[in-house]
Amino acid sequence: MEVQIRIAGAAGQGLQTAADLLGRALTRAGSFAYLYTDAESRIRGGLNFSHLRCSDQPLHGISQQIDILVALTDAAVTEFSHLVSTNGIILCNRENTHPRTAPFTLASLLAEIGGDKALALLSAAIVCALLDIPRGLMESLVRDHFGSGAALESNLRALELGYRKAGELDHATRFRIAHAPAKAPRLWLAGHESVAFGAIAGGVRFVASYPMSPSTGTLTDLAEWAREASLVVEQAEDEIAAINMVAGASYAGARAMTTTSGGGFCLMTEGVSLMGMIEVGGVILIAQRPGPATGLPTRTAQGDLHLALHAGHGAFAKAIFAPKNLQECYELTARAFEVAERFGCPVFVLTDQLLQDSQATMDAFSTKEISQKRGLLSEAQLADMSSYHRYELTDSGVSPQAAPGISKHVVVVDSDEHDVDGHLTEKPIIAEQMCQKRLRKIASLKSSLDFEPIVEGQKSSPHLVISWGSTYETLREARNHLKKKNALFAHLHLSQVWPLPVERLKALFARYDRIILVENNAVPELGSLLCECTQRAHDVFINRFDGRPFSVEEMVSRLTEVLP
Amino acid sequence: MTVRIDDYRSAVENHWCPGCGNFGILEAVKKSLVQLDLPPEKVVVCTGIGQAPKLPHYLRVNTFNGLHGREVASATAIKCAAPDLTVLVHAGDGGAYGEGGNHFLHAIRRNIDITLVVHDNKVYGLTKGQASPMTTRGTKAKIHPHGVPSNALNPLALAIAQNCGFVAQCMSARGDHLAATLSAAIRHKGFSLVHVLQPCVSWDKVHTYAYYKEHCYELGADYDPGDRMKALELVLAEGDRLPLGILYRTEQPTFEDLALSHLDAPLRDLPVDSGRIERLMPKFQ
Repeated sequence: MEVQIRIAGAAGQGLQTAADLLGRALTRAGSFAYLYTDAESRIRGGLNFSHLRCSDQPLHGISQQIDILVALTDAAVTEFSHLVSTNGIILCNRENTHPRTAPFTLASLLAEIGGDKALALLSAAIVCALLDIPRGLMESLVRDHFGSGAALESNLRALELGYRKAGELDHATRFRIAHAPAKAPRLWLAGHESVAFGAIAGGVRFVASYPMSPSTGTLTDLAEWAREASLVVEQAEDEIAAINMVAGASYAGARAMTTTSGGGFCLMTEGVSLMGMIEVGGVILIAQRPGPATGLPTRTAQGDLHLALHAGHGAFAKAIFAPKNLQECYELTARAFEVAERFGCPVFVLTDQLLQDSQATMDAFSTKEISQKRGLLSEAQLADMSSYHRYELTDSGVSPQAAPGISKHVVVVDSDEHDVDGHLTEKPIIAEQMCQKRLRKIASLKSSLDFEPIVEGQKSSPHLVISWGSTYETLREARNHLKKKNALFAHLHLSQVWPLPVERLKALFARYDRIILVENNAVPELGSLLCECTQRAHDVFINRFDGRPFSVEEMVSRLTEVLP
Repeated sequence: MTVRIDDYRSAVENHWCPGCGNFGILEAVKKSLVQLDLPPEKVVVCTGIGQAPKLPHYLRVNTFNGLHGREVASATAIKCAAPDLTVLVHAGDGGAYGEGGNHFLHAIRRNIDITLVVHDNKVYGLTKGQASPMTTRGTKAKIHPHGVPSNALNPLALAIAQNCGFVAQCMSARGDHLAATLSAAIRHKGFSLVHVLQPCVSWDKVHTYAYYKEHCYELGADYDPGDRMKALELVLAEGDRLPLGILYRTEQPTFEDLALSHLDAPLRDLPVDSGRIERLMPKFQ
């Protein structure tokens, strides 16, 4: 059983508050919710919506079906009423002649309780009642959210009224969900929060960023939790400062991170090169949005893979993780810190607006898989060493890293080519040795991050669909829909996009007649990288580049066109 | 603990031009660190690119020789991660006031406890004689064969106007005065700027040792560095008299007081501790 709700209206009307409360209520009741928000880059006005999927199982794809449309403006009815299912209902703020509208308007109900401040809560209350969420549960959420005073009082009146009016609707029982309380409390959170949790679990201690949508959520979360999690978050004067701070903090022995989006990251690339040269770790979150330049600030894209891959001049090790869903936002961010410190190199986490801003019901995060080991030499180890060479030539290319100040040794790093002690040099033999050391590190990182590509779906199909990042959940659902129609395909999804297991991929691709590439961008990013590495080009490119994510319905139709 | 000059002795070959003002600054830095009894392993010298930024290689000291103009940004984070260390930044006038101008402004705002020593030779030395933000208007330079069309910056006035907690001017050949001023700057809690005038023996035939000998004067004991308007008056004065000494000094809360007070230990020393998420997750239930 699934019910889909879209709350649509102008920025500033409380859509997100209402949707967030609904998601949290469903999570507490024991069901699964997924919330996708489509918002313009403005604080007031326009047409935004929050789309909530409620089910007895996690469904994180983007859907274009609506069972309950909450239309807070007339434009919302005009724009979305055609998506409302035949059994669906439209809750309108003002009078509307659409046949599926409820027999009352939200505005008239608000007039009953006085004031229009409770519009968001009133609509959430009606929907909650329709979804059979216990009123007591919703009330406790409202009390938590609104604190006390007049705002709480008017919202509690709205809650009472909402539940009462929902009971009078013909639809009163149509959307009831059988809630099954979870064994352990689940979480209701956004992708930006998953990333922030991953960072804390990964031991982040220093964050420097310049705010930029859609990465700012993660920065805000980390700043809010800085005291409880013992970290320092600094709003840098610009992105250049941010990345150079990351390099500095990492040199001094703290796991460090910056958060940005493509445009901001463009300013950071020399700093990335610095990290490669002086061999310090650091995690760079690039929450992707469409470019070039300012592009579409509040929209989504998968256009920055090559930007990250080729950021910084010169050859040095780097890894790029691209979480496929909110769970991986946590897991791969945590992992990024471990890899960055162990190898002393930049590690990227590529999310996008869709992942950052979506919210979902999740199981509590586990820390079992996360290494608690620091990658630096300890005080005791350093005390035993008669000398220390920051750039010691090792087989792995990874030199033991020491933080300055904790031993009798001095730690010298230099953005110039340098000798084993970090002092600048132009001697050809040392320059070559150091370059070879960095190349060996690239190889070590590659072998350490080697993985077996996992194919899902119909492995024996001649068609291989390849995707990366945030398209996964939508594709997974599309795959299940198509399976029912006997349109089968194999599906390879990559969450680690660099380094790649090239030989394994070559062998895998050889088993398929046709490669269908799915990316949320104008020019294939993963596709061209795979072609470069494996000499196998994709045959079909399914893409979208209007700043919006694929929906399940669209994906089904686009795949149907290309599958026999 | 008694730190000796030899503790700072480096085996790295010096690449500066003979007679370069940087030599005087290098000796004064050593002298100051010894005066303060700071061992090399407890000091980080953070630099960018140019002749001045090679300075830490000619010391035995923790060194972060990063990117041109970004030394203050990196030093800020080093201090955050390791507040138990003394953090010095050495930059040329191009790095500090040109490429790094924005970071300079924001370091003043933060008032983080680092000392910025700017080696002002009014020219881009390592790249062979281009104008710097300190070059006098009208001066002919490599890229300005008909004269620099822009005014020189007044970083001292800028710093005092922004209420920078410690603003000093020194001259590279006056070693004892420079060392004493550096020591005061390092002891000062908060961001300190030591602007050091230095001749460029290769590219500048005007601002020579003789020029500075003639134009510089040391502020007397009667000068009150707590008087901000007097300090401004001094650094805004027309003419060719160059005051040396602590021009302005004021105590105010540091960045560390406000941004690091919640930490029990330096960030550097904290373990991974993934379990920290346990106390944050209930907010999301």
